[in-house]
Order: sequence, then structure tokens, then C-alpha cells
Amino acid sequence: MTPGGWVLLALSWSCIIIVAAWCLAKVLKRKERL
Amino acid sequence: MAEKIQREKWASKIGLILALAGNAIGLGNFLRFPVQAAENGGGAFMIPYFVALLIMGIPLMWAECAIGRMGGRHGHGHTAGMFELLWQHPLAKYLGMLGIFIPFAVALYYVYIVAWTLAFSYFSLTGDYFGIATREAMGAYLRGFQGIEQNQFFSSIAPAYLFFLATLGLSLYIVYHGVSGGIERLAKIAMPLLFLIGVTLALRVLTLGAPEANYPENNVLNGLGFVWNPQPHRLADATIWLAAAGQIFFTLSVATGAIPTYASYMREEDDVALTGLSTASLNELAEVILGGTIAITAAVAFFGLAETEEIARKGAFNLGFQALPMIFQRIPLGPLVGALWFLLLFFAGITSVVALTQPAMALFQDGFGWSRAKTTAVVLGALFVLSQPVIFFLSHGFLDELDFWVGTFGLALFALVETILFAWLFGMKRGWEEITKGAAFKVPRIYYYVIKYLTPLFLLFILAAWAVQDVPKKILMVGVRPEDVGYIWGARGLMITLLFGFGLLVKIASDRKQKRIRP
Repeated sequence: MTPGGWVLLALSWSCIIIVAAWCLAKVLKRKERL
Repeated sequence: MAEKIQREKWASKIGLILALAGNAIGLGNFLRFPVQAAENGGGAFMIPYFVALLIMGIPLMWAECAIGRMGGRHGHGHTAGMFELLWQHPLAKYLGMLGIFIPFAVALYYVYIVAWTLAFSYFSLTGDYFGIATREAMGAYLRGFQGIEQNQFFSSIAPAYLFFLATLGLSLYIVYHGVSGGIERLAKIAMPLLFLIGVTLALRVLTLGAPEANYPENNVLNGLGFVWNPQPHRLADATIWLAAAGQIFFTLSVATGAIPTYASYMREEDDVALTGLSTASLNELAEVILGGTIAITAAVAFFGLAETEEIARKGAFNLGFQALPMIFQRIPLGPLVGALWFLLLFFAGITSVVALTQPAMALFQDGFGWSRAKTTAVVLGALFVLSQPVIFFLSHGFLDELDFWVGTFGLALFALVETILFAWLFGMKRGWEEITKGAAFKVPRIYYYVIKYLTPLFLLFILAAWAVQDVPKKILMVGVRPEDVGYIWGARGLMITLLFGFGLLVKIASDRKQKRIRP
């Protein structure tokens, strides 16, 4: 695994995890309001 | 004035998102993605992949959810009715009919492939293929199971047929129980289990180290590198961009007609933007993080780079059904790990099979007022009858012919038509209002222009490239064995019959609706 590979992996994984977590948090928060 | 129609609704928002994720997450997430990434420049593939996700995948997801929610408001659960709302023209319903025909035709072969995953889960648990020493012999095992040849492993197609019946029976059970009682319940069980199994398998693979002591270079890090190490010089290659766009297209299951149908059961206050983004992000979680870690990484750790390249070249099924079973035989708790791997694929597949049947279900329920029981019997019955040639003529290219025209070319064509109708004929101003209505976050305004200009252009590029590269060869049956020509024509005849059949049904449903509105 080259440094470039690590950078791409870390960037992709972290972006996906952050967006998925943010979306689910928003969905659950909306549920509470209703 | 639109008539007030009581339709089924999703019981919860999370249920809707899990059901949509179940539709999107399929076999391609775990088998097709790692092979595509490894073959198309490794990490360099990820750059066009994410570009395609941002300018085509997510916009299409939003547009389809918006079209679906709007259609549901007017009592339409299928794209034929929805397209009539987008474009008041007699042709609109026939263009929308593609969104019923395509998923049904894909389901004809997808249900059989999903049955293989259930069978291999059982064969792994019972250790049925354990003791097969080479990948070539494992290939013979798979072909024997599929009924392509009779050999020492299987003397008939009966086991495959039994698992096909079990998969179809389970689909029937789920579909019969409806949107919230069947599909939503399945999604709430299958999706968490899928992620749990996926994470377990990914952790197992990441802790493999270098399993072959004599070959220390065959290790997990080199496996990850095979998928992720960037080859920047390949970014200039148009085929990489085409492959990445194609992967985004298939992985999100856009243009199968299933997303608008699922979205038609949303409530008016449900959020299109958040639902679409949540679905896409769950799909990417399964594809990039789990799919990119499990299969190829394990293959490199056991077989090395050169052999894995060869496995990847031979395709996704070679990786999933031939290479990985060899690995399960060499690791502790192999039968359990193997059973979990195929169960993961089964969960990914069965949720997609159920989704693929829904546009046709909606046509009969909304268009003809049929009960769910009657519709389930007719749709699943037709699926059973019409999938027989796929099962018995597998070795003659019947499945491949269907897959190209409906599962590849048809999807891109339908997506382009849908985008033009939504962004240009319905109008982006009204389309944007539908997407942003009740949104939990501010959708970036740039997407107004992305959906209007970039998404259709991108789709046109994909369609044109496939039309030039593959369509002439397919039409002229280049490489088809003379003895298979009749079967290929049979597959084409089936598709044309289905196309006209659905066209007729859509016309009748549309006429009935007109009569109800203006008696």
C-alpha cells in the first residue's frame, strides 16, 4: 500500500462515514420532533 | 381535480431509508465494485467514481425520489403514471412503461442469481465443496450446480432449482405482506444483519496478515493496495471514467423504476433530499468500505497479486463463487465464514429482487385496482414462468442477452429519458421545488444546474459510449456460437413480447384512469 493509497482510502472512508452518520442523525432527530 | 386515493405508506422514515438502501445495495456492491476498482486504475478509479456519484448518482436519486413522492400524491406508484404528470403527452406513459418493463425483466434473471447465493451459503455451512483443491475444479462445481454440465459434483439442475423455488417463495411471502408489513420489515431485519455480517467479514479479512508463510508478499496491505493505490496516469483514459460512471449507475439501482415506486409510498411531509442522500451514503458505506475490503483483499492475501489480477479479469462471479470458496477452506471457522459471505450476498440480493417486482405490482394495484393478493399471484406467477428459460438456457447466453439489453443499456436509456422529462419538460423550477420541499437541510443550489445540464450530458456520454462500443456487436451477435443463435433470438422475442405486453397494460390503465376522472 503506497502513501497515495492510504490517503485515498482515508479520505474516502472518512467522507462516507461522516455523511452517513450526519444523515442518520438528521433522520433520527426529525423522528423525535414528530 | 385529482382524486383522493388511499395508498399504503411506509411505517417509519428509517424503514423507508433501509428499504431504499436494500434496493440499492446488491451483489454489485460486494462483487462488481472491487473488480472494477482493481481493473481500472485502483485508487485512480475512485476519483471519477466520486465525481460520477456527485454529478449523476445523487442527483438521479433525488430526482427519482421527487418524481415518486409526487406520483404517489396523485395515486401513481409506477413511472408510466408518473411520467404523464411530468409531460402531458400521449407518449409519456409509454416512456414511463420502461420503468416497469426493465425491473421486471431484470428480476427474471436476478432472482436466479440470488438463489445461487442462498445455495452456496448452505453448501459452505455443510462443507459440501470443502476438499475441492483448485479454482478450476471449483468452476466445475459451479457449472455443475447451474446445470451447465453434468459432472462428479452435480448430476442435475435439481438443487439449483430447489434454491430458486425457495428464493422465489420467500420473495412472494415478502411481497404479499405489502409495503410496511413485508418490504419494510424485511429491510429492518436484513439491512442491519447485512452491515453486521459485512463488518465481521471485513475485520476478519483485515486481520489475516500474511496467511501463506512462504509468500510474505501475499498480505492484506498489498490487497488493500491493489484496490486503492492510485495510478494517476490512467485518469486520462476515458474508459476509466466510463467504468466509474457505469459502476455508480448500477450500484445505486437508479433507473430501475424501483426508487420512484418506493418513494410513491412516502408521506407528503417526508423529506426527499435527506432520504436520497441517506440511501446513497448507506450504499457507499456498503460498497466502498465493506465491498472494497472483503473479496479482493482476501484474494490477494491468499493468491497473490498476479493470480488475483487473473481472477478479476475473469469477472465478479469468478471472484465470489470460485476464488473465495477456496479461501474459506483454508481458514479457521471456514464453513461459518463462507456461509456468512454468501448470506451477506443473499441479503443484498433478496431486498433488490423484492424491489424489482414493485413497479409491476404498482401497475396492477394502482392502475387496475387489484388486491395485493391477486397482484402478488399474477406478478410472482409470471416471474416464475418467464424465468424458466433463464434457468434452463443459461449455457446458451439467454441470461447475458437479457442483462445487456435491460440490465445495462435499458437502464442508461431510461435514466436519460427520465432526467430530460424531469429537468426539461416538467421544468427544473418545479422539479427543484419538489426536491427541496420539506428538506431537512439546504440542498446546494448548484444542483439545480447539475441536474439540468450535467446529469443528462453525463448520461448521454455513457449511453453513446455503450452504443458505439457494445450495441453493434450485440445486435450482430459477434462471438455467439451458431448453436446459441436461436436462444438469443428467443431472449429478444421474450423482451419484445414483454415490452408490448406492458405497453398494452399501461394504455388500458391510463384509459381507465381518464374515465374515472372524467366519467
